[in-house]
Amino acid sequence: MSNLAVLPIVMPLIAGVLLAFFHNKLPLVRTLAKVLTIINFLVVLYVFYYVINNGSVVLETGGWIAPYGIILVADIFSITLVLTTNIIALATVFYAPLTLSKKQEEFYFYSFFFLLITGVSGAFITGDLFNLFVFFEVLLMASYGLIVLGGERVQLRESIKYVLINLFSSMLFVTTVAFLYSVVGTVNMAQIAERVGEVEQKGVLTTIAILLFFVFGTKAALFPLYYWLPKPYTVPNPVVSALFGALLTKVGIYSIIRIFTLIFVYQTTFTHDLFLWIAVFTLIFGVIGALSTNNIKLIIAYNIIPAVGFMLLGVGILNETAVSGTVYYLVHDMLIKAALFLLIGAIVHLTGTTDLKKMGGLIHHYPLLGWMLFLAALILAGIPPFSGFIGKLLLLQGALLNGEILVVIIGLLSSLLILFSVMKIFIRAFWGEENKEIQPNRKMANKLTIPAIFLLFFSVLLGVGAELFYPGVKNISAYLLDPEIYIQSVLKE
Amino acid sequence: MLFTIIIPLLFAIFVPAFAKWKDKIHTGYFVLLVPLSIFIYYLQFIGEDFQPISASYSWIPSLMISLSFYLDGLSLLFVLLISGIGTLVTFYSIYYLHKSERLGSFYVYLLLFMAAMLGVVLSDNIFVLYTFWELTSISSFLLIGYWHHRAASRYGALKSMMITVFGGLSMLGGLILLNVITGTTSIQAMIQQKDIILESPYLPIIMTFIFLGAFTKSAQFPFHIWLPDAMEAPTPVSAYLHSATMVKAGIFLIARFLPIFVLNEWFFVVVSGIGILTLCWGSFMAVRQTDLKGILAFSTISQLGLIMSLLGIGTKTAIFAAAFHTLNHATFKGSLFMIAGIVDHETGTRDIRKLGGLMTLLPISATLAFFGAFSMAGMPLPFLNGFYSKEMFFDATLELHDNPLVGAQLLGQAIPYLAVIGSIFTFIYSMYLVFGTFTGKAKLDQLPKKPHEAPLGMLVSPILLVIAVIVIGLFPNLVNQSFLAHTAEAISGYQIEKNIVFWQGFIPPLFMSITVVVLGALLYVTRKKWSKVYTVIPGNLSFNRVYDKIIVGVETYSSKITNSYMNGSLRRYIALIMTMIVVTTFVTIFATGGFQIKTDDLAEVSYAEIFVAVTMALAAIGTVFARNKIAAILILGVVGYGLSLLFVIYRAPDLALTQLVVETITVALFLLCFYHLPNLRKTDDTIGIKLTNGIIATSFGTMMTLVAISAHSSKWFPTISDYYVETSYKLGGGDNIVNIILVDMRGLDTLFEITVLGIAALAIYGMVKLRGEKEGE
Amino acid sequence: MEIIMSILSGILFTTGIYNLLQKQLLRIIIGTALISHGAHLFILTMGKLKRGAPPILEYDISQYTDPLPQALILTSIVISFGVTSLLLVLAYRVSKRNETDNMDLLRGNENE
Repeated sequence: MSNLAVLPIVMPLIAGVLLAFFHNKLPLVRTLAKVLTIINFLVVLYVFYYVINNGSVVLETGGWIAPYGIILVADIFSITLVLTTNIIALATVFYAPLTLSKKQEEFYFYSFFFLLITGVSGAFITGDLFNLFVFFEVLLMASYGLIVLGGERVQLRESIKYVLINLFSSMLFVTTVAFLYSVVGTVNMAQIAERVGEVEQKGVLTTIAILLFFVFGTKAALFPLYYWLPKPYTVPNPVVSALFGALLTKVGIYSIIRIFTLIFVYQTTFTHDLFLWIAVFTLIFGVIGALSTNNIKLIIAYNIIPAVGFMLLGVGILNETAVSGTVYYLVHDMLIKAALFLLIGAIVHLTGTTDLKKMGGLIHHYPLLGWMLFLAALILAGIPPFSGFIGKLLLLQGALLNGEILVVIIGLLSSLLILFSVMKIFIRAFWGEENKEIQPNRKMANKLTIPAIFLLFFSVLLGVGAELFYPGVKNISAYLLDPEIYIQSVLKE
Repeated sequence: MLFTIIIPLLFAIFVPAFAKWKDKIHTGYFVLLVPLSIFIYYLQFIGEDFQPISASYSWIPSLMISLSFYLDGLSLLFVLLISGIGTLVTFYSIYYLHKSERLGSFYVYLLLFMAAMLGVVLSDNIFVLYTFWELTSISSFLLIGYWHHRAASRYGALKSMMITVFGGLSMLGGLILLNVITGTTSIQAMIQQKDIILESPYLPIIMTFIFLGAFTKSAQFPFHIWLPDAMEAPTPVSAYLHSATMVKAGIFLIARFLPIFVLNEWFFVVVSGIGILTLCWGSFMAVRQTDLKGILAFSTISQLGLIMSLLGIGTKTAIFAAAFHTLNHATFKGSLFMIAGIVDHETGTRDIRKLGGLMTLLPISATLAFFGAFSMAGMPLPFLNGFYSKEMFFDATLELHDNPLVGAQLLGQAIPYLAVIGSIFTFIYSMYLVFGTFTGKAKLDQLPKKPHEAPLGMLVSPILLVIAVIVIGLFPNLVNQSFLAHTAEAISGYQIEKNIVFWQGFIPPLFMSITVVVLGALLYVTRKKWSKVYTVIPGNLSFNRVYDKIIVGVETYSSKITNSYMNGSLRRYIALIMTMIVVTTFVTIFATGGFQIKTDDLAEVSYAEIFVAVTMALAAIGTVFARNKIAAILILGVVGYGLSLLFVIYRAPDLALTQLVVETITVALFLLCFYHLPNLRKTDDTIGIKLTNGIIATSFGTMMTLVAISAHSSKWFPTISDYYVETSYKLGGGDNIVNIILVDMRGLDTLFEITVLGIAALAIYGMVKLRGEKEGE
Repeated sequence: MEIIMSILSGILFTTGIYNLLQKQLLRIIIGTALISHGAHLFILTMGKLKRGAPPILEYDISQYTDPLPQALILTSIVISFGVTSLLLVLAYRVSKRNETDNMDLLRGNENE
């Protein structure tokens, strides 16, 4: 059954390649994309189910034993994230035809889409550090393809910044992997973990760890590395923004969680305290960014940053409660960011502007959209009983268990300001005098809202039905905090 | 108990359906059933032999979040207020809100609020309490913003939400701390463990956090500013949320945790201090208002301050008085709000300067208003409940404290005087409110509508409330043993018996009451003469302005801060990112002993390599200074070909070949793409920028070199490559180890490397073919 | 020799970053190319240099240079090639579409 681990990567790869051949037969491509996404989702669901019940699935690709070949590890953590990724894929694939132009669809949107999923799933599942680099490149390359899709002036301008920054961090990544290889003589993550543990992360290893942290921190958009993020996320089509906002930064934070719970856990007073500070500054500056603008897409793009800050908090605190908080928040944030970008995309699509000052009274035309945005705002701000609250609660509890009062105060204050930044959209766009000139298209609005409702459903379920998920998340946290389990499952010593 | 919370929520789901028939039957009639049945249900608990009951339902046990409810005297008082006033307000709203309004939304919000508020006062689990707490803020936000086409409504809604959610989050911080310290999520269990809490070093923080929650919700100074703006809500909402129930959630919270915190000496200073200050400030400011609802809003603020200060005093009398006044305030203030609504409804204005002489036109309303206002003023009349609790308040202020804090002793001395001052102003605005509206000369020409008495339906609710005022006034013991005694016991934790009588003899509280009436009447009559005082206090001092400044400031400053570094300049982004990486990495190298150098295991140096290396270095530097694009690209090529040479020297034939091919294609591509683009220019950067660029680049390069040397000097483990050498032929069936690694051992890398190339090809094809709008290339 | 190679790679990074910090697109892309070269050289240096024969199995040779870094570099070269090609075309399109190759004029403003 170990082949199960490769399915979440190979299936979208095949789909992506397949669809490239039919790219100008749009109706076929659309249907195929939807069907393939659903099949992929079901397969991943099965793998998820299997992993939950039988433990990690470890695949030694090509039959080359660990640690020599490339190892794929579908453990409870990675498969949970892959499943979440596929939920988002479902919502976006149904949304895509509504806002994309025909041309954009024809020029390989669906191929890029599936290859992005491939890269993201691969990054989650791989157990090999160099292979992680390769999957990063797959997902980045797919994201380059998506971000330039359309070729508008602004889009191209922001794309090149995006590509350049990511290119630089990729180069730093691959170099750092080589440094690490020089010291520990391997690129298999489990073996790296084992060997770093043997020498207790002495000497140059912490420096290498910090370099890796910055590589992933750049992708994850941490302070002060996130400058590249907000603008480029606003220029492509909303469905692309949703994919980016939900998935790309999360791969970065996933890698940080993985590397700094599995491998570099022997100098925590230095590394993890540093993370705590970086997390706090990420929260503060992210929130400030979110408040700084009237461009609704930009507001949501900036809101990615404080969320990453919250997740890093848990890594910095590194106790079981806080790490469960991080995991919970990670899943929550993937869903809610996708939902928010889809909702905002709907507003922009319907009104033709991103400027809040030009909107007003939309609730009369689009009540469903408005109330879903309202709900999403509450979820994002961590109002109970929704998913954001559970994650935040765990993080704050974890912080207090370590006596980090300041962190808690900043966490709470940023929640307030996050609520303000999104509620501002509700108040200014949906309340107020309606613009009589707008020709309302309620049918379109409802169509655009349904994929977001699908995602919000999971967000609400993750909060109200926390009992269904939290024990699992707690397991993940305990699992992450005990690197031996991972090492054993891969190296089988 | 759970069902009393679920019923309003369930109804909230169906209300929009009922609202479809609103032309036939007003939606309010359906809604009315909800609070009424809840009220009747809870009425049964009143009685001398009442015992607290609890019920618990599992929700998220793994997080210790359970739907556990606890009904004691304190919650009973509140649930009866919520359902009782709720019934009256709903009935009143049927006549107040016309069928043309969006009734569905209105009642959904109202029911949401009702459920939330019931949840707040019944929850024993702190996180469930917090959930309902935030839901009250949200439903209040929606209700204030009900007429959202008005800018003032939107402003008020946002303001109330920002301030109360701020408090809610602060309270959450306090609750989590309590949870972490005690290991429980049940309030009753926490009270059992109060010693642990009182000895915790976090106690000051816990108290601050929880008090902030209570003070913001109950509109205590200086957080009171949201309440006057909340008056933009429809009047039934103001009467309900912003006078009788939601604003008392803060009172409830303090009362709930009183058994723990009262044992700390700061409790009195902070709670009573803020409370009495709020009492004085609120009543003082109420006199200045011209809007009827504005007067009532500030009046509510000051009355909440009064109750808060009573809780802070924390003696038997004080606690009983707090419970008593909570009840009384709901009755008289509720009726006054409804009358204000009637006046507004019938005359079209709430501006007291345009009103006057309505006594003859609205005789019933006027009579009701007089009862309400006189009760509020604490007029010593045996049929007004306000007098009793006010008297008890004075009594409580006189009780001495054995609190060791200096501040507490000072406050203890000052409180009776402050109480009298606050009450004098209360007296003044109460008189102003009724006499200004109903007596004097009618200015009918200034009124938008021709006034006449309200329909009976609208009058029913205030009449019932005024009847309550009178009945409690005449027979205060009706609510004593069977009801308020339980409340007081629930708050304090021990039995409190209190005899409520009208005439207690010539004791200090009586003199205080008389002072209030005499001075109050005097100042009311002469108010025009001293009203100039408001130009000095508050004058320009306004907490509203502080809020506005904060809100506007938050937006402008965050724009300023953000735009100062997010200026879209790629150079700036890269420079900042690199600086951060370089600085942190150097710090790490020094802090963790990261630098190592070992020279015993190095390859020997040969001239050929040195020559290639120097050439490459010079070429690399040359790219910086090149002024011609073709030259720059070719110099870059030199670096690339140099690299292939190095690959040859270092025994990597496959690499050398690949590098050679790739370099050639890349150079060709470079030339192709940049042929049409402008030539390289001399940079116009200032010397400073050049210098920073240089420093950043050099330090980054140095850092990489240092880490590389350290990494190379720390080869502590055998490499896995040995295995590849051994098995390449045996298992991989090939001689070329690199090839075997690529296609077999690490075949997955290669598969996805090809994928990357494929995607790049598609993306490039897309870019070339798919042009944006209006581009005719 | 490894130390000299590390310094050379450091110089490639330095010049690459210096170019990356310039305004003109061509310089910036030259910068990225230099950085890739630097990175590849670093990887190669991290396997020991010149310790044995090229990693192609031959009779009676037992000492080979470390093949793994070579495999990694190969993968990386190909990927870098893909990215660089995309970047070049993108740069071309950006400068055509925005009518400038100066990144300082490509900052954009808030309302776009």
